[in-house]
Amino acid sequence: MDLKIEDVNAPHSMGTTIIGLTYNGGVVLAADSRTSTGVYVANRASDKITQLTDNVYVCRSGSAADSQIVSDYVRYFLHQHTIELGQPATVKVAANLVRLLSYNNKSMLQTGLIVGGWDKYEGGKIYGVPLGGTIIEQPFAIGGSGSSYLYGFFDQVWREGMTQEEAEQLAVKAVSLAIARDGASGGVVRTVTINSEGVTRKFYPGDKLPLWHEELEPQNSLLDILNVASPMNI
Amino acid sequence: MANSAIDVPPRGGFSFDLCRRNEMLTKKGVNPPSFRKTGTTIVGLIFQDGVILGADTRATEGPIVCDKNCEKIHYMAPNIYCCGAGTAADTEAVTDMVSSQLQLHRYHTGRESRVVTALTLLKKHLFNYQGYVQAALVLGGVDCTGPHLHTIYPHGSTDTLPFATMGSGSLAAMAIFESKYKEGLTRDEGIQLVVEAICSGIFNDLGSGSNVDVCVITKGHKEYLRNHLLPNPRTFVSSKGYSFAKKTEVLLTKITPLKEKVEVIEGGDAMEE
Amino acid sequence: MSISEYNGSALVAMVGKNCFAIASDRRLGVQLQTIATDFQRIYKIHDRLLVGLAGLATDAQTLYQRLVFRHKLYQLREERDMKPETFASLVSALLYEKRFGPYFCQPVIAGLSDEDKPFICTMDSIGAKELAKDFVVAGTASESLYGACEAMFKPDMEPEELFETVSQALLASVDRDCLSGWGGHVYIVTPTEIKERILKGRMD
Repeated sequence: MDLKIEDVNAPHSMGTTIIGLTYNGGVVLAADSRTSTGVYVANRASDKITQLTDNVYVCRSGSAADSQIVSDYVRYFLHQHTIELGQPATVKVAANLVRLLSYNNKSMLQTGLIVGGWDKYEGGKIYGVPLGGTIIEQPFAIGGSGSSYLYGFFDQVWREGMTQEEAEQLAVKAVSLAIARDGASGGVVRTVTINSEGVTRKFYPGDKLPLWHEELEPQNSLLDILNVASPMNI
Repeated sequence: MANSAIDVPPRGGFSFDLCRRNEMLTKKGVNPPSFRKTGTTIVGLIFQDGVILGADTRATEGPIVCDKNCEKIHYMAPNIYCCGAGTAADTEAVTDMVSSQLQLHRYHTGRESRVVTALTLLKKHLFNYQGYVQAALVLGGVDCTGPHLHTIYPHGSTDTLPFATMGSGSLAAMAIFESKYKEGLTRDEGIQLVVEAICSGIFNDLGSGSNVDVCVITKGHKEYLRNHLLPNPRTFVSSKGYSFAKKTEVLLTKITPLKEKVEVIEGGDAMEE
Repeated sequence: MSISEYNGSALVAMVGKNCFAIASDRRLGVQLQTIATDFQRIYKIHDRLLVGLAGLATDAQTLYQRLVFRHKLYQLREERDMKPETFASLVSALLYEKRFGPYFCQPVIAGLSDEDKPFICTMDSIGAKELAKDFVVAGTASESLYGACEAMFKPDMEPEELFETVSQALLASVDRDCLSGWGGHVYIVTPTEIKERILKGRMD
């Protein structure tokens, strides 16, 4: 394998699978946990679902540096906004701030984000903010390199009025499907569920995910499957 | 009007005066020289009562080893240290700048610096320069919110991890961490693992070499173990040294005696009129 | 061709017992054509502090002028000479300021502190300091100088032995570098005097 030095020095990008979907009463956000520089996995347990306020979270994809700076600024602005307003910011305001930064600096940013959350005016909402800084309110949104494997799947299985349990199971299933096919996605699956009750985070380790077509059971070590007794060749 | 021909010292920031000339030279086919890099192995891990940082001590300029025992664990604050990889001048400059900002912040607030403050200042600077300031850092420290370990990449992205590696030897070192790291290591086990990871970089990565530096930070206490392990001692030292059969021929010698040092006597008699 | 090979240069500084030596070659060339054979590459900042500037001669001279200017400002403000460590930080700051359009110049700084402790230091063209305890080298002959010094250096040499060692290392190295040579310039600085010597070397 040729792993080049440039790979390690390449900008960090999150070849990612991120998902946001609405259900009956709230939203579910889900993401894998792989951060890579070229072909090197720089972080296998990263958290791509970032908190913006108590009730709004964002899924990040694309350049790690860019998506972090955007979410840091939005979090900062929302804190200010919350203090000035004296009540929690709505999901729409958060998504609009993300859009504003993405749009105004689109020549400099390489990041696509999915904003999701719950507020008392509009309930659970998902907003997709892809590369150029468009904003789209959607019943479900998928993003990152792994999303290309999921469009057809979501067209088939998504329906309105799912329960929380159904929505979470769907999100985990979708991310695990993308992990199986997309080399740039991997690791574990993280979900964040937001509804009127509050926020719940869930974590699904990589070895507990369902196995798809031709996938192998997790192994402890390569030595367990290779023939140890065979002589060493030089 | 202030005379702009004389550049009065403290201004700060970069100067791009020579960029056009240097670009012209490059276009004419004369290449700029290479900079000193620390093709490095740097690591850090969290153990039961704090953070341990580790680094090798080789600095390179292309294929030449230009420093066999340099320091790559930089001081940020009394409770925070930072390992640097990448272009030596950049890691040095960025850590120095941020450590001075932290010192001023401490004077201002009268509180101990937090690791996230250092992290934010570093990532702000690196993001601003869009990856052109080539510093890859492992930042570790213990503050009032507990032990923290972060990695910072030249483009300004950051990660928070229980164990981290950086530099050209990061793959070799990560192999050790991935196979042996566990939660709640003791101090000695932690140092042992860090040393093993650095040694794996030293012996398997050509950009890393010489000795192992370790820094252990715990609540209210730190220990900088400079040259904790010397796995590559000199093997070719002659005790007698060199003697020269023929002396060098001197054409001219000029000797300038130096002025004697003036000594100031403290507390002499006060002058009276 | 690399720009630091345009004029050719060799610089070395070594530490002895309460003394130090700094030496350079004497050639100034434009690529393979020799322009001068008595070129000064080592400059005096004050009595106990010398700086050698390897690399592109035009940048070396510009940088030297800025260094002298800054040192004189310091003398006016502080009424004393700069310590070698302070001066090294100054050089580093001036070079790093031009991080993205550097002076093609690699300095070697050597000085005696107030307590007669020798200090030597070198940098790359953007100011990454390398503080060594034994010797530092720079210039187009640096590769051979590294080898020669590595073999010949001994700790705690007296001034005369230090002179012999540094001269031998310099002359041996420049003989294997066609861009530097034509004799050498050696300064030995002890707490009491500066000894400046010109060495005879190959003239080809």
